[in-house]
Amino acid sequence: MFIKQFHTAERKIEFLHGTTTLAFKFEHGVIVAVDSRATAGSYIASQTVKKVIEINPYLLGTMAGGAADCSFWERLLARQCRIYELRNKERISVAAASKLLANMVYQYKGMGLSMGTMVCGWDKRGPGLYYVDSEGNRVCGDLFAVGSGSMYAYGVMDSGLRQDLTVDEACELGRRAIYQATFRDAYSGGQVNLYHVHSGGWTRISQEDVLMLHQKYRDQA
Amino acid sequence: MRQGVVYINTNFSSVSGFDAERDSMRTCLLSPLPSLPFVSSQPVPLPFPMAHGTTTLAFVFQGGVLAAADTRSSCSGLVACPASQKILPIHSHLVGTTSGTSADCALWKRILSRELRLYQLRNGRRLSTSGAAKLLSHMLHPFKGTELCVAATLCGWDDHTSLSGPSLFYVCSDGSRLQGTLFSVGSGSPYAYSILDQGVQWGLTVAEATSIAREAVYRATHRDAYSGNCVDVYHVTSQGWTRRTREDLKEEYYREKESRRQTHEAEKKML
Repeated sequence: MFIKQFHTAERKIEFLHGTTTLAFKFEHGVIVAVDSRATAGSYIASQTVKKVIEINPYLLGTMAGGAADCSFWERLLARQCRIYELRNKERISVAAASKLLANMVYQYKGMGLSMGTMVCGWDKRGPGLYYVDSEGNRVCGDLFAVGSGSMYAYGVMDSGLRQDLTVDEACELGRRAIYQATFRDAYSGGQVNLYHVHSGGWTRISQEDVLMLHQKYRDQA
Repeated sequence: MRQGVVYINTNFSSVSGFDAERDSMRTCLLSPLPSLPFVSSQPVPLPFPMAHGTTTLAFVFQGGVLAAADTRSSCSGLVACPASQKILPIHSHLVGTTSGTSADCALWKRILSRELRLYQLRNGRRLSTSGAAKLLSHMLHPFKGTELCVAATLCGWDDHTSLSGPSLFYVCSDGSRLQGTLFSVGSGSPYAYSILDQGVQWGLTVAEATSIAREAVYRATHRDAYSGNCVDVYHVTSQGWTRRTREDLKEEYYREKESRRQTHEAEKKML
């Protein structure tokens, strides 16, 4: 996924959305959970990829699709957010940040960018979560999962998600959802990186190896 | 042609008995489909081929074998039948879940039932689930490479064989025949798998197992467009198979929505 595949001039570069990233809103903010595997076809290129990009201390972006595209555009977004802050003397809202990103990539629509990201943060209106991709989609929602393992994650998240979750319960739900996705999806694995976005910004909660989680859940059962 | 309804020219063999309307359904208009979040401009290869618009699952536990499925038969964008039967009993101690082309599954299940009955009459005992799976697999083999599409899980209880007890086999028209303790087949299977992987163990009670199976099908129907309507649950034990009353999942959806609304309001009152 993150290694360019050299084909003849007629064939386009292939990007595999081989990943599982998820984010959901709940009463106490937004939980963001991602795996850390990078694949190029059937080769596992890396098990320790950082798929959460820290845009600024209160905004996070997730990465799915082409790594270069995601990290470049989100760094550009970080720059734009900082400029906004300096000009307007206040933090940028999640809606505005996601709109900036969507407009930036829309200009390159059809040219082969591959990016499926979730912009997560906390602003005046409370927790914010937007899905933005290189097709030009920008949707606000309470719950998203992106990547080849997303369907597996949706099952777990849908059944466990309630508005009145505590922070620990929500973290465990996110962790479990990514774990179940890595269990069934060959293109997801490595570690589960978990972040919590609250009124004071984002906090990195944990990084746990999927195999350790497998032992833990097996012993619990 | 009814106004405002878009038909897609498809192979209508998915629903048996639809031939009368076939001639009126030829058109080439395809309404623009809303794009899914992970569809990009160039074709992205999916991790596995998504076919068989359905959700069926089966697993083995201490109380026997549990099989569950939704009841929606779809024909590209059309819900051809909201009340179809995807779990077909083959004999008193064997049920099969079906996925793929409905007509093919129905036919081959009937052929399998007939062959198993003949075996029983000739040999004085029932064929084991493993044998039934092998028989089905060998019967489907001549059709490999054609458009025949059957993906079934055979769930049975074996007596009088060296390995008696609950047994589960997955048989597919492309030649696979696998034994296992947990299978889910269809476009809704990823959603079901994550629920099942969380909860299924050998030591479950019947009530717990039924609840997990229902929940898995419910979550799959919630997210997958090609699964929906009702859920059927069959339970196979040493006494034979039993069937739970068919449940409409829309009731479950509204119940869940209502209970979430109530907790939300209870919280707001507390604040």
